[in-house]
Amino acid sequence: MEDIKAGLEKAVRVMKIEVEAGEQEKLSAELDQFLQWLKPMLDLETEGADQVLVAHDRISVVRKDEARQADQAELQEAAPDFAGGFYQVPPIIE
Amino acid sequence: MDLRGKPVRKMVEAVSSKEVSAYQLIEKTLENCALVNEALNIFSVIAGVDALEQARAIDKRLEVGENLPLAGIPVAVKDDIFYGVLPTGLGSAAFKEFIPPYTATAVERLMDAGAIVIGKTNIGDMGLGSSTVSSPNGPTVNPWDAGYAAGSAGAAAVITGLCMLALESDTGGALRQGASHCGVAGLRPGMGRVSRYGLNADSSSFAQVGVTALSGDDILCALEVISGPDGRDASLAAEDKWAAGGRVAPDLQSESLTIGYPAAAFDLPEPEIREVYEKARERYQAGGYRLTEIDLGLLPEALRAYYVICLAETSSNHARFDGIRFGRAAEAGDLEELYAKSRRLTLGPEARRRSIFGTYILGKGHYDRYYRQALKIWNLVRREFNRVLKECDLLMLPVVKAAPVRLDEEANFLENWGADLFTAPVSMAGLPAISLPAGQVGKMPVGLQLVGRPFSEKLLTAVCDRLAPENKLFPHRGPS
Repeated sequence: MEDIKAGLEKAVRVMKIEVEAGEQEKLSAELDQFLQWLKPMLDLETEGADQVLVAHDRISVVRKDEARQADQAELQEAAPDFAGGFYQVPPIIE
Repeated sequence: MDLRGKPVRKMVEAVSSKEVSAYQLIEKTLENCALVNEALNIFSVIAGVDALEQARAIDKRLEVGENLPLAGIPVAVKDDIFYGVLPTGLGSAAFKEFIPPYTATAVERLMDAGAIVIGKTNIGDMGLGSSTVSSPNGPTVNPWDAGYAAGSAGAAAVITGLCMLALESDTGGALRQGASHCGVAGLRPGMGRVSRYGLNADSSSFAQVGVTALSGDDILCALEVISGPDGRDASLAAEDKWAAGGRVAPDLQSESLTIGYPAAAFDLPEPEIREVYEKARERYQAGGYRLTEIDLGLLPEALRAYYVICLAETSSNHARFDGIRFGRAAEAGDLEELYAKSRRLTLGPEARRRSIFGTYILGKGHYDRYYRQALKIWNLVRREFNRVLKECDLLMLPVVKAAPVRLDEEANFLENWGADLFTAPVSMAGLPAISLPAGQVGKMPVGLQLVGRPFSEKLLTAVCDRLAPENKLFPHRGPS
């Protein structure tokens, strides 16, 4: 359980989300339940099964991989703001 | 005027021939929406003036001779599908007044065809879950019994006659389970069939846009309009696959259809639900359908794998709600605090649980153990469904294993997730599936799920209308 608590704490930190202390305790217990629930899945024999990488196999993902000349003027025109050779973006923090 | 009195095609005829104007139809519909919404909490927003303006525009388009396949049809749109005029709350208190800068392709196509958006329907916390109990607006009440959740607000809108079509999302089965709990038909199209542009997806691999209505034919009216290639969604099926996939009307002789059913899946703990499904099977057999027992043993592991993948994708998709790129910015002293507080502002308890668990699963040491294994099981699930659908034309599955969530009880989160046992694996397989009314337990409707091969949506809607009227339990019509 200590491992799970530490793992959950790390996930909260990585995700950068505010979680109250009481909620973190509750989530640790629930994560423990969830991982217990997953156990039969881990025991399933998956030898020879590839990982699925796309949501379905009817997508046309293949196109010719060739370099194309972009129209700079068109791109600049589509940008919200362009000045002095740069795309202007708003400051993140005032 | 009761919208349940006419099929979509008949209503379109009535509006197109000026028997009733779109404006009159929508004016009355909006009155009903306001009344019913107070009791059932179906809509997060009712369109009001905008819907009346849309109706006026439709009447004008008809006046100049335009042919509109959905002229005047009132449509409810789930609150995770964008309509760039009305606020789209996404099931988050932080998005209450958010008006999307664009409209979803499916909504745009329905409106081009003459349909009128009458409002946005309630959803759970960030659209998560197969009921609306975690919604910041409170749950949508089941029209059949106020002690229960509706499952999906769109289905509740259809069965109460507030709209004729509901455009909804379905990830692990919300649309199908809602249709089951409310006694209507609900189609989740196969992956690649309908554009998802403008859908705020929690899980990019499994979220799909579908339709709920009173009959399969009503659903087909909408599907014919919304499906098809869209340059704005790269996950749509390639055009050559469409041609090969069978848009052609199938042979619907009942004796020519074989329906596979996994007996173990119907061995449910609730005897009354089991009985509904047993009786439905007997009726179908008596009606000439060939039922054949098949083995589909992977469902419990598929559900677990579904949740691993779904949570991982949810955590990734929720990362953007940091208060800078997306979402409302919280008051904060520094950047780190801004991220943390803004995410909390956006994500409710269910969304936080899923995102944090997803982040845990994707972490070092857990990725291989859980995520990679789940991706392999996803492959096995696809193979299993494909194998079964080589043996039979359609596959029959329960939609639910229990009644909807009771509003006076707080269920354990795993119990809630377990409700997706029969629907989430179908989402993994990427196949089209329809939920149709099968019977009742007390007052509550129970639906049955039919799963088809890729591009078999037309077959599913037709079989739905052949099977559902046999129940004679719901205001459900067969083909006109």
